[in-house]
Amino acid sequence: MRPDVELIGVTKRYGHGPAAVDGISLAIPAGSYCCLLGPSGCGKTSTLRMIAGHETVSEGDILLSGRNVTLLPPAARGTAMMFQSYALFPHLTALENIAFGLRMRGVGKAERLARAAEFLRLVQLGAMADRLPAQLSGGQQQRVALARALITRPKVLLLDEPLSALDPFLRTQMREELKRLQRELGITFIHVTHGQEEAMALSDMAVVMDQGRIAQAAPPREIFEKPASAFVARFIGGHNVLELPGGRFAVRTDRTRLAPPPGGASLAGQVAAVEYQGAAVRVVVRAPDGQTAEALLPDGLFHAAPVAPGEAATLGWDAQDAHPLSPNA
Amino acid sequence: MSRWFPWLQAAPLALVLACFLLVPIGLIVVVSFYDYDSFSLIPDFVLTNYREVFASPVTWQTYLKTVWFAGLTWLVTLALGFWLAYYLAFVVQDATWRMVLFVLCTVPFWTSNLIRMIAWVPFLGRNGILNNALVGAGVIEQPLEFLLFSDFAVILAFVHLYTLFMVVPIFNTMMRIDRRLLEAARDAGAGFWQTLWCVILPLCKPGIGIGSIFVVVLVMGDFATVRLMSGGQSASVGLMISNQIGLMQYPAAAANAVVLLAMVLLLVAAMLRVIDIRKEL
Amino acid sequence: MTEQTKPAALTRRGALALAGATMGSGAITGFPTLWAQNIRNVTLRQIGTGVSGLNPIAEQVKKDLGFTLQLTVTDTDAVAQRAATQARSFDIADIEYFSIKKVYPTGALQPIDTSRIKLADKIVPIFTTGRLTPDSAAGQGTSPFSVGFVESRDAKAFAGKRTELMTLMPTVYNADTLGIRPDLVGRPITHWKDLLDPAFKGRASILNIPGIGIMDAAMVAESAGILKYGDKGNMTRAEIDKTIAFLIEAKRAGQFRAFWKTFDESVNLMASGEVVIQSMWSPAVTAVRSRGIPCVYQPLAEGYRAWGSGLGLMRHLSGLELDAAYEYMNWYLSGWCGAFLNRQGYYSAVLETAKANMSENEWGYWMEGKPATADILAPDGKVMEKAGAVRDGGSFQERMGKVVCWNSVMNEDRYMIQKWNEFIAA
Repeated sequence: MRPDVELIGVTKRYGHGPAAVDGISLAIPAGSYCCLLGPSGCGKTSTLRMIAGHETVSEGDILLSGRNVTLLPPAARGTAMMFQSYALFPHLTALENIAFGLRMRGVGKAERLARAAEFLRLVQLGAMADRLPAQLSGGQQQRVALARALITRPKVLLLDEPLSALDPFLRTQMREELKRLQRELGITFIHVTHGQEEAMALSDMAVVMDQGRIAQAAPPREIFEKPASAFVARFIGGHNVLELPGGRFAVRTDRTRLAPPPGGASLAGQVAAVEYQGAAVRVVVRAPDGQTAEALLPDGLFHAAPVAPGEAATLGWDAQDAHPLSPNA
Repeated sequence: MSRWFPWLQAAPLALVLACFLLVPIGLIVVVSFYDYDSFSLIPDFVLTNYREVFASPVTWQTYLKTVWFAGLTWLVTLALGFWLAYYLAFVVQDATWRMVLFVLCTVPFWTSNLIRMIAWVPFLGRNGILNNALVGAGVIEQPLEFLLFSDFAVILAFVHLYTLFMVVPIFNTMMRIDRRLLEAARDAGAGFWQTLWCVILPLCKPGIGIGSIFVVVLVMGDFATVRLMSGGQSASVGLMISNQIGLMQYPAAAANAVVLLAMVLLLVAAMLRVIDIRKEL
Repeated sequence: MTEQTKPAALTRRGALALAGATMGSGAITGFPTLWAQNIRNVTLRQIGTGVSGLNPIAEQVKKDLGFTLQLTVTDTDAVAQRAATQARSFDIADIEYFSIKKVYPTGALQPIDTSRIKLADKIVPIFTTGRLTPDSAAGQGTSPFSVGFVESRDAKAFAGKRTELMTLMPTVYNADTLGIRPDLVGRPITHWKDLLDPAFKGRASILNIPGIGIMDAAMVAESAGILKYGDKGNMTRAEIDKTIAFLIEAKRAGQFRAFWKTFDESVNLMASGEVVIQSMWSPAVTAVRSRGIPCVYQPLAEGYRAWGSGLGLMRHLSGLELDAAYEYMNWYLSGWCGAFLNRQGYYSAVLETAKANMSENEWGYWMEGKPATADILAPDGKVMEKAGAVRDGGSFQERMGKVVCWNSVMNEDRYMIQKWNEFIAA
């Protein structure tokens, strides 16, 4: 499939410091949901803003649908951006906010308002047309921002931490809605987040970034099952990263047990913490050499042979569950 | 007790306002109905003073002229002030530079009003620097007479004085505009002028409103600038009142002051109807 | 006459006064006569214009009389206003005669007992008989004589003749005419009507103090044959209408460059060349000349418009303060002060004593219209007038003898001011 968005050796420098984005290359397939993931300062937002055209590219090229857009203004690229905390125009009603892009393109008032109303219905806010942003809840503002970005029918929608301002309950709800919209519209979404759970839930392709470089770009399942580096394994969570005699390995915590299976690897030590989490119990074990590892045990299994902090314990796993990592990353 | 507490807290300010604002204005209103002769006030209730204000074509003319001065000054200071504020808020990125330029804007206030206005004479006069330069450069053959002691000079001095009053509040509102809004506009396809007209200008309205109130009120009440810059050839309501006070015609001056006050209040009310400045407070 | 005193002007005059003080202080005789020890604690508060509200005078008072004279300087209108409305905020008003026509009837002032003024009989007859010499004409308008006396302590009306009670004790007076820039007018100026010469279109000015401006305008109108006044100082409504109408016509024709209101404005207009002919005051002409710019206080065929001012005692003065005030007034006429004022180009009330305090050359130049036999020096040592210079308009007799009208308050004052405002707004 021809990629929708392609980055070729894209670099961003601010002043004379180290590059914020350091020569990244990436191809995002058409119609996919892509999440840019990483800790703050990793360059994910700069990358998004360069794709949007709100940040100049220091080196490299950006291609959209095979067209080099590196020097084009945002509106000429076929992208649209949904800003962090939405950036709705405070002096315009919800409907006018949505119609803004059409107004700028010279669409007549009646037509643009009619089409804005359609999009307002698409995001299920039909009744809020005449409200000002200040009169809308956070979730409603977000839907308006979404509709405003979509009305110009972009080929690529860029979302800058769209869910970070919402409470956890709304976040899950909006997540589903974003995914639904993306599926229905069939366009590419590029979504910047620092939450791995969000990326897992949404993306067809997740791009984990670290210090301006791409650490791993792959479908989320592949990332979870085969993290490319210790950084990726730690960042996406659910993994023990261990230095063992055979080298460095990542072992999923839910595949780790308290009793070493026959022929499996193990780590002996003392129980440092026991945390009850409902369906599972988390047991942290500290080895004499200082390494810690944890096991996420189904509650039945734990209660069959409970341990308490301070007791000696040995963690173990099947050899095939230990995913080898390169020693230097 | 607690019920009275808010009233108690508000009392000092209310008292000060009552003593130093309401009572004097009340006195002016009272005096405006007094009669007078050439050397004394005669407590009375006569409408002569108001009749003289409204019946005289001169007062009408003077009021019109004052409004005209205020309107023209408003237009020019708005145009100038908006772009100066725009430059300071959006073009200058460095905070230190912004501060330096801002201080430059206050230069007109570094000298006294009178000295500043007298200083215009050697600059704009018949044999002033500007005329000499223009004649010297061959642009004009005869010195331009309209530069000084004219309505042009009055407006120039007003603009010179009051543009800052426009710049500050507009700059203030501009600095509060979330820069992402400008990106959002650009993202939606807005060009420079579209962003200006559809986003920046509407969001600057409170600042424009406050600046406009400043400028209009100051110009409407002015008497020194009009007198000095027009060479005494133009009249303003303030000047008329000042003349009347000078000649001890207090009731006439009071009547004019009441009419002027009413007019300025109406103007301000009209501006407040158009622009909600509470957002700014 | 209105004058705002600027620091520059004060310095100039201040230095002048110090020079005068060193010359004159030796000649004081017989003062003070009041030797109460506690007089040193007296402070007299005087309000007046920059014409005679001069610090050197206060310093000399301290030196000669021992008590403190506290000066407040403001413009003519403000002096009149404060005298009428805030009489208790000061003790002595140094005020103009035409203002006193308005202020005295308010009861703010007490009359001056001439029996306590030693040199009362030596005062120039302009103030005591209304005529400089028995056969000279009395000027029109609010002459000092017409408002100079009252019949009784509580009278509100003026006596119109000499009595024992004066409203003001005269201090300074002068004859005003047009000032011109001889280098720029390009022809001899001989009449008041020359102000309207189309050759000076856009380069003429008139002062915008209605009570004085209307008089200058009347001088011009009469000179141009536009109209003949019964009494320029007390016009009828019809006369006012016609005067204002001709002013408006001239204004619309672009005759005037500007109208001035303060001393400094008139100096600037003239010095910058914006204006070449205008109403002017004598010290303003001197101020222009001291910048090295030629300026003449041009005597005109029709004569002068004059003004005078004097010291008035506020009604509340009594006891020791009142004694001190009389002491001060007697001192004022005793010579030092007269010489001091004469050297500024004004005239003082008692000439004899002033003469005794001036050099022969000074007296000849300032008072007798004689060519200066030596340089007339400004107090800072700069040459004010070179040897051989003659004062514009000549001698005291020539100038004060040709006064045709005085600054005035008319009966139709209110109407006149209304019409004057029309002229300014036109």
